[in-house]
Amino acid sequence: MTKRLLSVGLALALAILVAACGSSSGESSGGSGSPLIGAGSTLVAPLMSKWQSDYASKTEATVTYGAIGSGGGIDQITSRTVDFGASDAPLSEEQFEEANAKGEVEQIPWALSGTVPAYNVSGAPENLKLSGEVLAGIYLGEITSWDDPAIAKLNPGAGLPNTKITPVYRSDGSGDTYAFTNYLSTISPEFKSKVGTSTQVKFPTGVGAEKNDGVSAAITQTDGAIGYVGLAYALQNELSMPLVENSAGEFPEPGVKSVEAAADAVSKIGPNNEISLAELPSSAAGAYPISTYTYVIAPLESDKAEALKKFIAYAIGAGQEFGPDLDFAPLPKQVVAAGKKAIGKIGS
Amino acid sequence: MEAGALSTPVLRARRNRKDRIGDPLLRGLSGLAAAVAVAAILGISYEVTKIASPAISRFGLGFLTVNDWNPVTERFGAAPFLYGTVVTAGIALLLAAPLSIAISVYLTELAPQRLRRPVATLVDMLAAIPTVILGLWGILVLGPFMRDTIEPALKSAFGFLPIFSGDPSAFGYLTAALILTIMITPIITSVTREVFETVPGELKEGFYALGATRWEMVRRVVLPYSRAGIVGGAMLGLGRAIGEAIAVAQVIGGAYGIHASLFHTGGTLAAQIAAQFQGAPNQLQRSSLAYLGLILLVFAVIVNVIARVIVRRGGLEEAEFTPTEAEAL
Repeated sequence: MTKRLLSVGLALALAILVAACGSSSGESSGGSGSPLIGAGSTLVAPLMSKWQSDYASKTEATVTYGAIGSGGGIDQITSRTVDFGASDAPLSEEQFEEANAKGEVEQIPWALSGTVPAYNVSGAPENLKLSGEVLAGIYLGEITSWDDPAIAKLNPGAGLPNTKITPVYRSDGSGDTYAFTNYLSTISPEFKSKVGTSTQVKFPTGVGAEKNDGVSAAITQTDGAIGYVGLAYALQNELSMPLVENSAGEFPEPGVKSVEAAADAVSKIGPNNEISLAELPSSAAGAYPISTYTYVIAPLESDKAEALKKFIAYAIGAGQEFGPDLDFAPLPKQVVAAGKKAIGKIGS
Repeated sequence: MEAGALSTPVLRARRNRKDRIGDPLLRGLSGLAAAVAVAAILGISYEVTKIASPAISRFGLGFLTVNDWNPVTERFGAAPFLYGTVVTAGIALLLAAPLSIAISVYLTELAPQRLRRPVATLVDMLAAIPTVILGLWGILVLGPFMRDTIEPALKSAFGFLPIFSGDPSAFGYLTAALILTIMITPIITSVTREVFETVPGELKEGFYALGATRWEMVRRVVLPYSRAGIVGGAMLGLGRAIGEAIAVAQVIGGAYGIHASLFHTGGTLAAQIAAQFQGAPNQLQRSSLAYLGLILLVFAVIVNVIARVIVRRGGLEEAEFTPTEAEAL
């Protein structure tokens, strides 16, 4: 008995010792051999896993990525527990302040996608046409039935059912919520004042569900539901998507092409490399109105600066070729150029 | 001969050595284990309080009564989630406790002998379903069933009550409460079943001998004898219902208000933390969520203390019960 107790105790002590050594050696070595560690956006995760394997095969450098959500990514880079963070929403001023407390950080747009509404209304036509005003009205609880005159006006001749509208939103923090509310706030001053723009907002009506799959399940289980999900998710799961009117008065089909058209139409890159695609010029033909960039957040000072620079340069360069297969649009030239300039600031 | 030579003094010496090492070692290790548990609860409370402190200093105790949760205006309050927690866990307990008692009575008193084990095992297995699966089932099966069948029926029968008014919905307090009921029924059942099995056979037989029916025996012997155990099991279930996060977050519909209608979407403390902590966009919201966690912790402690008080009181009554009943017999 004593022997067993002793050996258990010894084994425990040994395990603790090994664990302690393991963690300390992991922290101390910051050399070129150790992998880059990142965390954040789930939206960019499928693209990231392509990047990881391709980058590893080309350079033998490993990148570890935890798809824990944009908010988590911002948290982790703020406390510097990772080498880079990834967020679907650009950092707010407050978030920049928090993150800069341990040395300056910058954000670089590195992937381009869209957020699309999806609906399930039996008796309504496919590719129902909606506008930003109508979407804002629905999410404000002002348009409550599918045969509302505002919807009928956009869909002349379509037999619309008198079904109650159930708006579905994300109950967790999400880049899709940011893109969607940013778009609605741009279109509707009322939405902007009553709800606002953020990764999490308080919608006055509707049903909250978790993650893209929760929203999609809620939509498919509810007659009369409308929600919003990531473009890639909607396309891959073949959800019914309404067509949303853009500033040119067209109803472009949601997809890589129309998202690309939206990105091409915006040449203005804001401070901190923030780019909003919510306000498109009326000349933007074929542009999808709810397109959005997703960002990498990198510290300017890092003991892995060289590795970080290389990887981000790869992501906005060669890495973009994997985008279209995964329903990401390639970055436009001016954004790549701005990104390269920003990479130059790291580690200098 | 050798064995004899080895016998007492050597063995005693060995035992003495064993005693010298074994006992302190046992005491040390088990004491360490206890200390780890205590340190864990203190450490967790401390950390949660630390993360919550910006929200505590900003909102104070008023946080408990503010009926709002708006990440854009940064006005946060716990009232919608406290309300949701009380309502969903309360309904779950109201439904699960009688159900569990009935199952236990059936399994210990009424079911044919060869059915008891398999049925008991199946009920226990209900507790093994991962909550996320239960939540998914809630979204896909239970929710639509509630919306299309149960809630319209409740509404047409009791629609004059505010709790059954409003539009039926697949997501809301009632769906979440039912998911919790399914979740805690096996927990309460397993405790009550064990307790029912400890009711002395002589008591039951004595009661039958007096001409009692089964129902009278259960009501007058099994239930009073097991009261403390029933309450303990119910509180265990209630604790679980209060703390459940994932499945509730999946079906309650993540809304931030207080609504009388049970069909309405809402939120609970645990579900809100699970849904938003990871994606919280700023420090204030993160610390407000930790504040919710602190409230949940206090809430759980209060439930636990109440349970202990009831069990202790019940335990005394139980001690009193046995002799008097025995006398009566």
